[in-house]
Amino acid sequence: MKRSRFPFIVTGFVLVFFYLPILFLVVDSFNASRFGGAWRGFSFKWYERLFHEPAIWEAAKNTLFIAVVVTFLSLVLGTVSALALHRFAKSRLQRFHYTLIYTPLVVPEILMGISLLMAFVAAGVRLGMATIILAHVTFCVSYVALVVLGRLQDFDFTIIEAARDLGATGWQAARRVLLPMLAPGLAAAGLIAFTLSVDDFVITFFVAGPGSTTLPIRVYSMIKHGATPMINALSTLLLALTFTTVIVSQRLSKSGAMEGGQ
Amino acid sequence: MKLRMLLRFALGAAVIAAGFLTAGCGGGAKEQPALHVYTWSDYVKPELVARFESENNCKVVIDTFDSNEAMYAKLKAGATGYDVITPTSYMVSLMRSQDMLQPLDKTMIPSVTHVDADYLAVALDKGMEYSVPYMLTNTGIAYLKSKVDGFEPTWAMFERTDLKGRMVMLNDMRETIGAALKYLGYSLNSTNPEELAAAGAVVKKWKANLAKFENEQYKTGIASGEFLLVHGYSGDILQVQAENADIAFVMPREGGVLSCDDLVIAKSAKEVKLAHAYINFLHDPKVAAENTEFIQYLCPNKDAYPLLSEAIRLNPGIFLAPEIQAKCEVLADLGEKNALYVKIWDEIKAGK
Amino acid sequence: MKRLRKRAQELLLTAPSFVWLSLFFLIPTALVFILAFRPADPFGGIGKGWTTATIKGLADPQYLAIALRTLWVSFLSTGICMLLAVPTGYAVARASERRRNMLLLLVIVPFWTSFLIRVFAWKSILHPEGFMKKGLVLLGLADPSSQLLYNLGAVIMVTVYTFLPFAILPIYAAAEKFDFRLIEAARDLGATSFEAFRKIFLPGIRQGLITAVLVVFIPALGSYIIPDIVGGPGSELLGNKIAQRVFVDRNLPLAGGLSIVLILAVLAPLLAVLALQGKGSRIAPKREETET
Repeated sequence: MKRSRFPFIVTGFVLVFFYLPILFLVVDSFNASRFGGAWRGFSFKWYERLFHEPAIWEAAKNTLFIAVVVTFLSLVLGTVSALALHRFAKSRLQRFHYTLIYTPLVVPEILMGISLLMAFVAAGVRLGMATIILAHVTFCVSYVALVVLGRLQDFDFTIIEAARDLGATGWQAARRVLLPMLAPGLAAAGLIAFTLSVDDFVITFFVAGPGSTTLPIRVYSMIKHGATPMINALSTLLLALTFTTVIVSQRLSKSGAMEGGQ
Repeated sequence: MKLRMLLRFALGAAVIAAGFLTAGCGGGAKEQPALHVYTWSDYVKPELVARFESENNCKVVIDTFDSNEAMYAKLKAGATGYDVITPTSYMVSLMRSQDMLQPLDKTMIPSVTHVDADYLAVALDKGMEYSVPYMLTNTGIAYLKSKVDGFEPTWAMFERTDLKGRMVMLNDMRETIGAALKYLGYSLNSTNPEELAAAGAVVKKWKANLAKFENEQYKTGIASGEFLLVHGYSGDILQVQAENADIAFVMPREGGVLSCDDLVIAKSAKEVKLAHAYINFLHDPKVAAENTEFIQYLCPNKDAYPLLSEAIRLNPGIFLAPEIQAKCEVLADLGEKNALYVKIWDEIKAGK
Repeated sequence: MKRLRKRAQELLLTAPSFVWLSLFFLIPTALVFILAFRPADPFGGIGKGWTTATIKGLADPQYLAIALRTLWVSFLSTGICMLLAVPTGYAVARASERRRNMLLLLVIVPFWTSFLIRVFAWKSILHPEGFMKKGLVLLGLADPSSQLLYNLGAVIMVTVYTFLPFAILPIYAAAEKFDFRLIEAARDLGATSFEAFRKIFLPGIRQGLITAVLVVFIPALGSYIIPDIVGGPGSELLGNKIAQRVFVDRNLPLAGGLSIVLILAVLAPLLAVLALQGKGSRIAPKREETET
């Protein structure tokens, strides 16, 4: 049966499209020029400078911590709400719930940021990492819910009932039946939430407290005076780290799978 | 099995998060007071900050913003926690009128006697009651010497159709309309509707030759040859000149904008004594000179001038010729009249 | 009794996100709505009292041009994203398990680097003296004085670039559980690849498609950083105007008003669609109704 080559060609093109700017980004991290326009010779100086900038590492640490917490929280909240939306889709409550879920996508970030700030100030909440996490989860929940909802399409809850009739507890049924089915959706949603949190600038700028800066905030303010090639260097390091981890884990799982039989 | 993979990932993430959490907690020493500075990026030499920290047994936490307006919007909406802030002068007037600053105690900042009186004469806060000038810059024109023939130091360069699509002006309402006002011979703080309308017409004419309005990327643009002539800040251009000797910077003969970023103390500041000490430290002539060399803007500290290197002292883009200096003005905040500029700027942006 | 338990279950599942979003989203957004009805003070604050002047001020024709341009850009970007995301989501879903994880990571990891730096990289690529421009000139597709940057085309391309992974992931998630044997069965019965794709696959991932469209189109409407950096003087979008109102003009009420316009422009058609689907309709369509 001949399978169409078309989707794979498109995927290839998409990957080239994604990595073209990344290539430029990496090459520019070795560009001796501070302004990234013309090539002025090969240099490691941005990497050297990067290691002497505690401010950037501090921001990176904060960003990573926030992203992990946000991903976890929004996965939980989003999945639960997707379950509600799918299971009880006919009810009026769910229709309102659905609107509530996708409306955060619509509000422009600037206004979401300022209104959250005003709300925090009015409530006397001190700005800091916690407020950033609260804000991020708020917009990530929508994405997670919608993605998991897509996963749940056509899912028949009677399977769960059947499992319970056969003696499984609610929790067992969820763990053994529901979760594995949802897993790819959770993975996709988690990746989205993580990415959104790591890269958010506008909302974070407004709700960040003194001393709780994130990488995007640092990067934006570096455009005026700072040496942005350091961020190219940081990004290159991140890419190298991630790909190395992936390759290593692939190797490990390959040898593991071979032993365990496939 | 996918589920196992997910669980492994979650476990790994939790471990990482825990690691960072403890690292973060371990780092914060509670005994030292912390001074919170809200400023532009790379706007003070790190060694100087370290020196201040050790001399005063404190920690300096620097947070950065990318524009005056963003900083103002955030503070106006109620954010607090910052002690020292470095807004641009016109923003300082605005913040002062909104009761966001506290008056300075001169007895705690004796080194401000070194501040250049010539600059103070044109400054917005002449008596340094709420602000102390920190770094000065002026806005002019930078161009590639080899690519632009017949350059004339005038704002009318933006009328040159042979440079069409290769020029940019600042995406800043006051700077760009101000350049047109100066070209026509008016004050750049004018609130006269006819003068403003005339300036608006001039900018619309210039806009036809521009690639875009740009606030930061003109530096990269001219360094890489993307743009041939740009409207930009002296301090920024100096940095680019270090890389590309083909770039020249000139203040047009009609005069232009003089901007100064000032040091202010927020009304809600917690560490008031430390904040004053910080300001005092920055105006020690040796510190001011070191800072100037690092940032490449100009600290208006007259006793620091002799300590500066020749490259800066003899640079006509930094130390302007007196007759041009006389034509330059500092941007003032216009309060309600801001709306007049907004209207013209909207028209400029909307027109094709 | 069963009914009550069901109801309790529903409330339990709905409560967490409901409470969270009401607290951290509804209330702040309501503030935005309220803002639009208050007068602006020239110093960026909100005046006392109420006024409809701001809302009336929205009738200015310049906003119409900008709104139409914004809709057009978002619409086009979403279309291109979908054309690229559907085949990609399909390919990833059909890949072997190991390949699949690799592909997913390959797709998303570039977006963990700083957004701003990526957009700057695009500026390097589209540089008037850059290799892309030179290549196009060589091929005769562009003339030497043309500009690849600072126009709507650049804005659309970078917008597609930014939102594409968010379209691919939901489609992948939905496609992964799709039973591809159905397509083979359809083809056995005589359908062409494309027919099978259109009539069997697409409806099977319907919710995924809806999600993909939502997460591209809607945020694209409000984007302002992309047009700011790679757009030209003629590519101002609604997001830029809102940003200008907040920062430069310090007119929060007007910014709030513009946002309401944006929100209504998006919500209105969506609500209409939901209403048209009828009273007995489901949000997540099921192929058969069974008593649950």
